[in-house]
Amino acid sequence: MSLLSIGLLYGGATLFAMFLGMPIAFALGAVATLFMIIFMPGASVDTIAQNVYEEMASITLLSIPLFILKGAAIGRSPAGRDLYGALHAWMHWIPGGLGIANVFACALFAAMAGSSPATCSAIGSAGIPEMRKRGYSPGFASGIIAAGGTLGILLPPSITMILYAVAAEQSLGRLFLAAIGPALLLVALFAGYAMWKFRREFHAALAQYKLAGTESELLRVDTLTVYDKFALLPRVLPFVILLTGVMVALYGGYATPSETAGLGAVLALALIASIYSVWTPRELEPILIATLRESTMLMLIIGMSLLYSYVMSYLHISQSTAQWIVSLELSRWVLLAAILLMVVVLGFFLPPVSIILMTAPIILPPLKAAGFDLIWFGVIMTIIMEMGLIHPPVGLNIFVIKNIAPDIPLWDVVWGVMPFVGLMMLAVVVLCIFPEIATWFPDAIMGAK
Amino acid sequence: MAHGLDGVETVQAAALPRSAADRILAFTNDLMVKASSAALVLAGFVLTYSVIVRYFLKISTDWQDETSVFLIIGAVFLSSAAVQALRGHVAIETIVGLLPSRVNQARQIVVDLASLAFCAFFAWKSWALLHEAWVDDYHSGSTWGPPLWIPYSLMTIGMTLLSIQILLQVIDELRRWNSAR
Repeated sequence: MSLLSIGLLYGGATLFAMFLGMPIAFALGAVATLFMIIFMPGASVDTIAQNVYEEMASITLLSIPLFILKGAAIGRSPAGRDLYGALHAWMHWIPGGLGIANVFACALFAAMAGSSPATCSAIGSAGIPEMRKRGYSPGFASGIIAAGGTLGILLPPSITMILYAVAAEQSLGRLFLAAIGPALLLVALFAGYAMWKFRREFHAALAQYKLAGTESELLRVDTLTVYDKFALLPRVLPFVILLTGVMVALYGGYATPSETAGLGAVLALALIASIYSVWTPRELEPILIATLRESTMLMLIIGMSLLYSYVMSYLHISQSTAQWIVSLELSRWVLLAAILLMVVVLGFFLPPVSIILMTAPIILPPLKAAGFDLIWFGVIMTIIMEMGLIHPPVGLNIFVIKNIAPDIPLWDVVWGVMPFVGLMMLAVVVLCIFPEIATWFPDAIMGAK
Repeated sequence: MAHGLDGVETVQAAALPRSAADRILAFTNDLMVKASSAALVLAGFVLTYSVIVRYFLKISTDWQDETSVFLIIGAVFLSSAAVQALRGHVAIETIVGLLPSRVNQARQIVVDLASLAFCAFFAWKSWALLHEAWVDDYHSGSTWGPPLWIPYSLMTIGMTLLSIQILLQVIDELRRWNSAR
């Protein structure tokens, strides 16, 4: 059988198994095993278990459950509410300050928790009711939270980035640093849009008031005392210290990324024990169970994706596809656009982890040949996958918002989110024109590559 | 929905245990989840300890990374049956909602049989690997060099429990298929 037919069969069988509704991990494993049995020597089929073990037994990959534990510990504590309250107290005087406070709270929380949906639900459950109470339209309020939450897979310690670093054989520390500039760019874009949109809604409300005397909450001016501003700070500071402490441990060379994961998890547990007195086994159980559920599901997908790419590479499917793409001699930007489009389409169906591990062996060699910096591309690819979290058909964050504010119609949420999808596309374009936004920071701290 | 990865809670009621086998497995899963939780937290402490002894006490670290690998591998595989019991292994469910219920029931049985075939095959190969590692006394290639039967046995037990869990779910579905006729 020709390589092309084997490749097409491999892809076709995978799509069939997945769309039949087989769990992603088992679908990938089953297809890989089937092709091993048919096309590979018997000895390699015998080592399937060893193969998966050896691929998984890397402390970098296995730090993922610990990052999840840290996120779950923080996500299940009232830290999100406190963080949000404190930011609001300090920023309420800016036009659209409430919305901006929500964007900032999402970014900070995402950096601590490392998960998009966890960020959406932690900040959104306090932020959305507050914004609506203050007259923000429901779509605008949900858009801010859904988009702010996506910063979770961009800011360190993003699980998506860990996998990309492993798949692309790039430095994780450098990748984490490269995400910071683009994340700040997104925060600035989101905040700028929030301010602009607030002014529009504000002027509409003002016109309405002058015309018909309709009072709107948007027009009310807040007065918060200095006491209010300082009262919430002590509760937030330890978490900000945790965040910076972990970053210093990582970049100061005191700890490896995986040790940072362990340290972060232990510190997060210690903080919720000391601040919110969550420490008994009964109270910790939901945190641990949520962590295990997510980690086990994720790690099995990762293990099986690695087996899947191993088979793909053994059968030369990935190499030939990569060579074929290179031989098309597309111009750099056409190549990039085609690859990003593929990532967008895959994002309709697959979680970022499988997209990265399944496509990396195919798309990275052509990108490298075309002279793209793979660290920079990791950031771009992550932003594209972030968009998948908020656009239909499966934008997870949209469903998280539906959960915390069930009375907002789905269409309002979707329309409220769309401008943010546009802003993220804009950010990708800006990053293509000025790649330094991503590469400058790691170069400055770790030296040029 | 395939993005259901990042820790969103989906409320799913576990089916009430019926047969003795169901009850025994539910009990085992509960134990495994407790052991896995403990292993995960322990791994966090081991890595924290590693930072402390290396940085403050200037003692070189050799066993910490591998111990954490073993603990987390154990946590992942041992809890995989419990996650399957809650149908927590995420799948693409785009077409599921479009199918008539009887067809969907048949689809679920086919999908679970395929998952069962894969997991059972994997479990079988894990037993073979474990046996080999035990008989030939395999050790990891690091300077510390712990015996490899430890992580292999965790993986083997986990995959075996996972296969049994899917088998019980298939039996349950076949029973429902028959009773619906």
